Amino acid sequence: MTQLTLSLRDISKSFGGVEVLHQVNLDAVGGEVLALLGENGAGKSTLVKILAGDYTPDGGTIVVDGAESAELNPRSARRLGIRMIHQEFQDAGALTVAENISLGRWPGRGGVISWSRLRRRAEDVLGQMGVDIDPGATVGSLRVGERQIVEIARALADDAQLLILDEPTAALSQQEVDRLFEWVRRLRDRGVCIVYITHRLDEVFELADRVQVLRNGDVALVSATSDVTRRELVEAMVGRDIGEVSRPADLGAPTLGEPLISIRDLEVDDQVAGLSLDVSPGEVVCLYGKLGSGTTQVAEACFGIRRPTRGQLRIGGVEGFPSSPVDAIRRGVGYLPPDRKREGAFMNRTVVENLAAASWSRLSSLGVILARRERSAYDRWSGKLGIKSADPTVQAIANLSGGNQQKVLLARWLERGSNPLVLVEPTRGVDVGARQEIYSAIRALSREGQAVLVVTSDYEEAVQLADRVVVMQRGRQAAEFAGDDVTAQNLTIAAGG
Amino acid sequence: MTTQLDSTATEPVRPARRRRRLPDTAALAVVLVALAIFFSTQSPFYLTPNNLLNILVNAAVIGIIAAPGTLLLVAGQFDLSVGSGAAFIGVVMAWSATQWGIPTAVLLALAAGLVIGMVNGFAVTVLGINALITTLATLAILRGLGQVIAGGQTLLLSGFGDLGNARPFLDIPVPVLILVAVVVVMALVMRFTVFGRSMYAIGANPVAARLAGIRTRTMIFGGFLLSGLAVSVGGLILVSQLGAASPNAAMGLELSVVTAVILGGASLAGGRGTILGTVLGVLILGTLNNGLTLMNIDSFWQDVARGVLLLAAVGFDQLRLRFLSDK
Repeated sequence: MTQLTLSLRDISKSFGGVEVLHQVNLDAVGGEVLALLGENGAGKSTLVKILAGDYTPDGGTIVVDGAESAELNPRSARRLGIRMIHQEFQDAGALTVAENISLGRWPGRGGVISWSRLRRRAEDVLGQMGVDIDPGATVGSLRVGERQIVEIARALADDAQLLILDEPTAALSQQEVDRLFEWVRRLRDRGVCIVYITHRLDEVFELADRVQVLRNGDVALVSATSDVTRRELVEAMVGRDIGEVSRPADLGAPTLGEPLISIRDLEVDDQVAGLSLDVSPGEVVCLYGKLGSGTTQVAEACFGIRRPTRGQLRIGGVEGFPSSPVDAIRRGVGYLPPDRKREGAFMNRTVVENLAAASWSRLSSLGVILARRERSAYDRWSGKLGIKSADPTVQAIANLSGGNQQKVLLARWLERGSNPLVLVEPTRGVDVGARQEIYSAIRALSREGQAVLVVTSDYEEAVQLADRVVVMQRGRQAAEFAGDDVTAQNLTIAAGG
Repeated sequence: MTTQLDSTATEPVRPARRRRRLPDTAALAVVLVALAIFFSTQSPFYLTPNNLLNILVNAAVIGIIAAPGTLLLVAGQFDLSVGSGAAFIGVVMAWSATQWGIPTAVLLALAAGLVIGMVNGFAVTVLGINALITTLATLAILRGLGQVIAGGQTLLLSGFGDLGNARPFLDIPVPVLILVAVVVVMALVMRFTVFGRSMYAIGANPVAARLAGIRTRTMIFGGFLLSGLAVSVGGLILVSQLGAASPNAAMGLELSVVTAVILGGASLAGGRGTILGTVLGVLILGTLNNGLTLMNIDSFWQDVARGVLLLAAVGFDQLRLRFLSDK
């Protein structure tokens, strides 16, 4: 098998005027597993999307087998044998394994599919991989790990030379992870080049021959895995400029009364095991963990979206798991969801409506919403949170910046008088300036007696916001830090690198 | 003159509203006027007071049902059972009038409308069956039940002509008065009440609505209930106008209602739509039917025109959605 060598040279890429990659290099060589490591937003996905031909870089060159190639587009990338396996499956769940493996290239003549050839091809590939999956089973009926393997089989049937795996283990059990690693090693031994995106250090040392760390759009480190230590990798990911991320100035203030959130030995399916934490008025507690560590499930349990399997939860002064969002809201809980577009905002409705939506019963009289009261709700919070809208009663929230949208959704609960607040990824997709404004608003609210639980996968956010940080790793409570112990290094190491 | 300027430095720019809201309804109004001009050149009878009133009377039932229909579509729901529902109501009315007299029969007919709404609402909100399948099923059920009760016959009903034909005020027929009342009330409900605004929120983003504590299922149930009530009023008007109830009445009424609502700018994706738009949609539909009749065009062609209009309206909606998401 010929081996592919592909190099990206001085690649840069901007989105909306923000440069997310600054002259980055990457070498992909056949017969090698390259781990691509970095925090959220470091530029990993952008880089591999350029590698897969999905994005065109703004600058730089792409060298394929020593020859300079003008551009890489989805078609030419395919021709070169570059395949990417996404985090979200891009398979057709209702079709069979055999159909999926040959998806888009079904054998046959004159539009009539040859089912026997289709099946034989699938059996060949699965046989090569030594996997025992029925080619006739529908993909939707498979377990997540098997589905992943079918996707790899599909890439293999397509004669992939360069396989990009985007955080493939996020949803896998340990056993499935072991199996996946076995296939990856086998493919490497056959000369396939593998680019493996992850933020788990264990996986780097277990699997990768070489590791490249990205940080804020720059290459922070490239090294053979055997020449690098765990500590060095963390430092490369987090950076030494971490001193710039400062702790809040108003730490150490006393809490104001009994906890409004009190969790004991919480268990949620197989995703959270034995979590305990308290949040009192006057403090901001961060629940920090990587994606898939179980933090979101805890937040959802607090708001009645997900029912825990075991443990105790006392929230808003009421014992027991909230049965629904309505129940949680009645207890006084406010919830900022992680995905603003999908779960938070009514995008084509006005700013004022979005802000008032949880308080309509109070802003109305006999079921009629009083425009003046609704408007005054906006005025109450716009100054305090710095919401900027040209015409809040007319402007759709979709036309605000991400930071402003997030402030409106925060104000939705403040207007309702909610306490405690559960804020999940409160500054996701928010630019740096607005991020600081949101942080200081949250700190100010806590000083005034709000109990705030911030659930985040961004350690910088935890460092800048929290009085205390509880760290989760793979569903378990890994550590708790307070005061000066809340540092980026401590958090990332406790969260599993 | 200059004293107040300082305090309103950050005050919003009002004209933004006009600029953004105008195109949809204005375009519809232009279409309506253009149709009217066209038909008045084709037939000398078109532009007579009697004919214009005629258009309104014929549009009244569609409009009365399309008003809650707009509310439903705004919340991302719709009701296809309205046509056979109206026929069923007529049959219930005519049949029970022979048994227990007209007043009791009217109450029964209204109750039947509410029951239809409850069944649809229950299936959609509690059983979680989507609105298309639910109301397609009740469409068939109600048409069949109407046939069963009427024994496949047309039932005569005398002494119940006023609702459809009387002109108690300014020489305007009752159905048109009811239409105006329903439209005004629904417009106010949608714009100013917690219920109406919640429906917009649900249609704009059902997940976010639930997480904001809006009782999405109760609200949607209420929407179907209103639709059922409107169907019973519409069915009563129809039976009163004809003096008879046919189980085959109001064939395709659901198509007219959905066409009018979507033509009026309500989006199949939910979260968008106004009663004013729907009224214009109803009037365009009525004008088209009336004009084509005056031009002696076969009524079969009117069905074709209505179908084309529905496709055009939905196509336009899709184009607009694509345009919006591209931005």
